[in-house]
Amino acid sequence: MTQSRPLFRLVVPIILLVGCGPTASKPAAPGEDGQWTMPGKDFGATRFSGLTQITAANAGKLRAVWSFSTGVLGGHEGQPLVVNNTMYVVTPYPNVVYAFDLTQEGYPLKWKYRPNVNPAAIGIACCDVVNRGAFYADGKIVFNLLDGHTVALDAATGQEVWKTKVADVNKGETTPMAPLVAKDRVIVGTAGGEYGVRGWVKGLDLKTGEIVWTGYNIGSDEEVLAKPESFKPFYDQGTELALNSWPKDAWKNGGAPVWGWLSYDPELDLVYYGTGNPAPWNTEQRPGDNRWATSVMARNPGDGALRWAYQFTPADNWDFDSTQEMILTELTIQGQPRKVLVHFDKNGFMYTMDRATGEVLVAEAYVPVNWAKRVDLKTGRPEVDPAKLTGASRGNITDICPTLEGGKNQQPAAFSPRTRLFYVPTNNMCMDYAAANVSFVVGTPYIGATVPYKAGEGGNLGAFIAFDAAAGKRVWEVKEKYPVWGGALATEGGVVFYGTLDGWFKAADAGTGTVLWKFKVGSGVVGNPISFLGPDGKQYIAVYAGFGGDWFLLSGDVKSDDPADVRPAAGFMPDIARHTSQGGIVWIFGQ
Amino acid sequence: MRSIQMLASTTAVLALLAATADLATAQQAAAPPARYEHIPAGGNPPPAGPLRNPHKGSAQAADEGGKLFGAFNCDGCHAGGAVGAVGPSLADGRWRYGGADGEIYQSVFYGGRGMPAFGGLLPAESIWRLVTYLQSLQPAKDTISTVTW
Repeated sequence: MTQSRPLFRLVVPIILLVGCGPTASKPAAPGEDGQWTMPGKDFGATRFSGLTQITAANAGKLRAVWSFSTGVLGGHEGQPLVVNNTMYVVTPYPNVVYAFDLTQEGYPLKWKYRPNVNPAAIGIACCDVVNRGAFYADGKIVFNLLDGHTVALDAATGQEVWKTKVADVNKGETTPMAPLVAKDRVIVGTAGGEYGVRGWVKGLDLKTGEIVWTGYNIGSDEEVLAKPESFKPFYDQGTELALNSWPKDAWKNGGAPVWGWLSYDPELDLVYYGTGNPAPWNTEQRPGDNRWATSVMARNPGDGALRWAYQFTPADNWDFDSTQEMILTELTIQGQPRKVLVHFDKNGFMYTMDRATGEVLVAEAYVPVNWAKRVDLKTGRPEVDPAKLTGASRGNITDICPTLEGGKNQQPAAFSPRTRLFYVPTNNMCMDYAAANVSFVVGTPYIGATVPYKAGEGGNLGAFIAFDAAAGKRVWEVKEKYPVWGGALATEGGVVFYGTLDGWFKAADAGTGTVLWKFKVGSGVVGNPISFLGPDGKQYIAVYAGFGGDWFLLSGDVKSDDPADVRPAAGFMPDIARHTSQGGIVWIFGQ
Repeated sequence: MRSIQMLASTTAVLALLAATADLATAQQAAAPPARYEHIPAGGNPPPAGPLRNPHKGSAQAADEGGKLFGAFNCDGCHAGGAVGAVGPSLADGRWRYGGADGEIYQSVFYGGRGMPAFGGLLPAESIWRLVTYLQSLQPAKDTISTVTW
């Protein structure tokens, strides 16, 4: 025995040396198939890839493998899909869909789909003509056109299987969000919180595209699908909660749009999504809590029944939409493992909630916040600072943090089950807010406020942070000159990825935040990186470049392609045009 | 309730504007004549149609147009001062669809490519006041096209 031990010690290291090589590192996490079939990677929207070939040790050697110009200039939000060795890309308006064959050199197209999208939708999209991506299910690519249609294409041929009109641009409705498919239901929602819509989600039949149910976010229990036998909000009692929290008819144009990210728990059979701002921004035109604007909703996908709801910012004074992703995972809270959803809200608070009941377990600021002191976990309500309330009669309220762009906005966070940390792209800005009375004219904006921004403490307009959602604490940060408007990707290999508005795509160590690699991708990044295995068995990273989203509207003269549109530089971001113009490029990086 | 009150007072504003049309020529704004933005086929530009701004150069009409610009949510897309947001800048001396009186009028009346059509909502007198307001925003010289850092 004592003689065989030294032998064992000799043998084992030799085996390790022989087995070592770039492709023989730690195997991918169990269940990882190297594809990316839905916007958030999985139903829990973790944006976590179980691939391991790219590590902190070798990320510095990443190189560009391929690029493709989409032919569209506009904010390239969203992310590609990779299914069966095919990469699917949906562009901003006019929503071209590309299907790239990854098995052939240069990844030529298998097919290209060019829909007939109504250009009138351009004027109804508040925040650039973005598209947040497609969902692969049952051999179909399912996505939205900007003008209120949901489309299913045959993933192999690109032929239209069905196209359904779900929203009406004449009412101020558009559909930039990425659908979610749960079992045989396609769930979609409408944007238009700045156009006085009444927000809703609809459930379509996956096979036929037929609209099976409509669940409004505001209105009577009957229209909201809040049935007495099944609707159990954690903090509220009573009926008609989404009607009696509005003055007389204000609910009809009350906002509560759905333009963000959806997630799904198959065991609880609950689809989770957040609703946007109540309309208009001038709160004095809609006294009341304004449910269920700025809320998280939990519905059964089959019939749309609302099971619970919780409002993050009652009587929203600041356009604090709650459409950011609800990331589903298990965390240990006060010694107990809990099935939670974690949500980084525009209002600057991170919420960890029991996703079965809607109870708030943790609520802590993830960026500087001054409109509220804290969230009371017993009542679920924020303790608002009255000095930061806004409204037409209050004049200009100064130095509110965060801005209406949020502690973060649409840019989605990622979660790593290895580090147990959330990787969050954030904004660091404060605002003045001067509300004014506004009249509702259908087809035009319904806003009623002037809101200039300024840099938050430190002068940097953004930061990419690692956040512990159980403890409610920031663990590390990478300060960025501009708001970090692209999404995050976390990987089992221990590397996290994100892009910046001034056009850098970066890799960082998931544990420490050390930036390991960066590459200038030709235009600002407002989209979300993915990772996948190529047909050669190697790990790749893909991301869009293409400046836009809210910043296209607010960044002055970044636009270069229209001589009849020359804008003054924005006061808070005057030199962004030194670093980027518009663009539209799909990138793939590898080793 | 408040939005209905606002609409009623907007209608009152419209009636007032129609009744007090100001045709007096105020000081001419020092703006260059609108360049003809389109290539005339055969070298012959179309003859000037009947669409001429009856309030051209009127400071009062420009002021009234500025009020309409807010009341009808034009600033919601084009931003205060028409510097551009969702919709393009209208204060940069340049015109995507042409800067002649009738061309600006038509783009408000019929809309197009994102711009809603206001012809069914606003009477001609109001659209001309909006045109006068926009024409008052134009810089005296072409917008400087070089930015240096």
